[in-house]
Amino acid sequence: MNIDNMNNEPIWKSWFARHGAKLLLFARQQSRRPDEAEDLLQEAFVRIWRLYGHTGEVAPGLVYRAIRRLAIDWARSIDRRKAREDKVALDSPLSFSFDRTLEQDERKQALLRAVERLPAEQKEVLTLKIWAELTFDEIARTLDESLNTVASRYRYALQKLKDWVPEEMQGKPQDSSSTAS
Amino acid sequence: MNEFEKLEAELKELRPLPPSDAFTARLEEALGDAGNVAMRCLPDQEDDTSPNDSIKNIKKKGFSSRLLVFAGLGSLGLAAVWAAIFYLSSSLVPNGSSEQNDPANPLIAESGPTPEVPGVGLLEDPNSPLHGISLKELQDVSVMPVSGWIDPQINQRFLRRVDEGVFDRPGGLPARRVRHYFMDETLWSHPASDLRILSTTPREEVIFIELETY
Repeated sequence: MNIDNMNNEPIWKSWFARHGAKLLLFARQQSRRPDEAEDLLQEAFVRIWRLYGHTGEVAPGLVYRAIRRLAIDWARSIDRRKAREDKVALDSPLSFSFDRTLEQDERKQALLRAVERLPAEQKEVLTLKIWAELTFDEIARTLDESLNTVASRYRYALQKLKDWVPEEMQGKPQDSSSTAS
Repeated sequence: MNEFEKLEAELKELRPLPPSDAFTARLEEALGDAGNVAMRCLPDQEDDTSPNDSIKNIKKKGFSSRLLVFAGLGSLGLAAVWAAIFYLSSSLVPNGSSEQNDPANPLIAESGPTPEVPGVGLLEDPNSPLHGISLKELQDVSVMPVSGWIDPQINQRFLRRVDEGVFDRPGGLPARRVRHYFMDETLWSHPASDLRILSTTPREEVIFIELETY
């Protein structure tokens, strides 16, 4: 007996194909350890999709917000000693989250190194604005910050990148802690 | 031009790595039924819910166009078979005997006893699906072959999804009830006579999705 499957596809798959890479990038940035990012994304996505997936479309901002809140919850649940150890992993290069073909491009590599030097709060705004393509309003709601704060962080981040990329290209990066504001 | 536009464009050129297939599979498993609540038709079947679905499906499966009218003819064929069966049962079975075997008929209880004399047509054919009617009689009257049919093809079509809202379940988490409507189609084919019979049956599935409050 030949049973034809319905030629239908769950909507979440196409939704995730569209947003998965950006969400995973944000999860990597928010997680304490690189191997925790997928768990974080899975937990956040499943929770949100169970609540709103029946509508067939879910605002990506909801998942970004869930990722961030879960990351905070998880960070609180681990002890301080472990947190200190994980701080090392937290600073793992962001370049691992991007397409490796850009390794051929010196300027892009320098750009990524400069992004890595950004303070965490500016880096997350930059990530949400550039790669997640959220509006400032959505970013403000995701991060529970004011619109002005996120807009300022974004502008500071871009200004720093503009200054730092030439330094990175010359191989003379300055200490990020002295330049971060 | 904004002083940062070039920089923003350069940043956007950096592509984040997509999640691995293994991770997507893991996600699918974690979603469970919740992942199948919202479905979309793939482009080549987007018009499946139109009234002419059966015909379109048959077209897509490569059947010849002259058989497209078969869906209607098949129904007529089935009707003819049942008419024949009714005719045979009334003509071959002795008067009263068919009714006498029906305990559900109240009229029978009031009628007197009738001798059980089997008619000539009641000779049992072990291959016949109908008691008292041989395969040959069935074939002659219905003008439809009784053997040579290939295994039926079964196709289930997703029609629509209805979200029926959130329900409180005693002793459990609240759950969202979603009802899926399907149309099950069964197609019987007889290659020798080029006959096809299509049967469609509506079906519903109800899915409960546990809701977590977060």
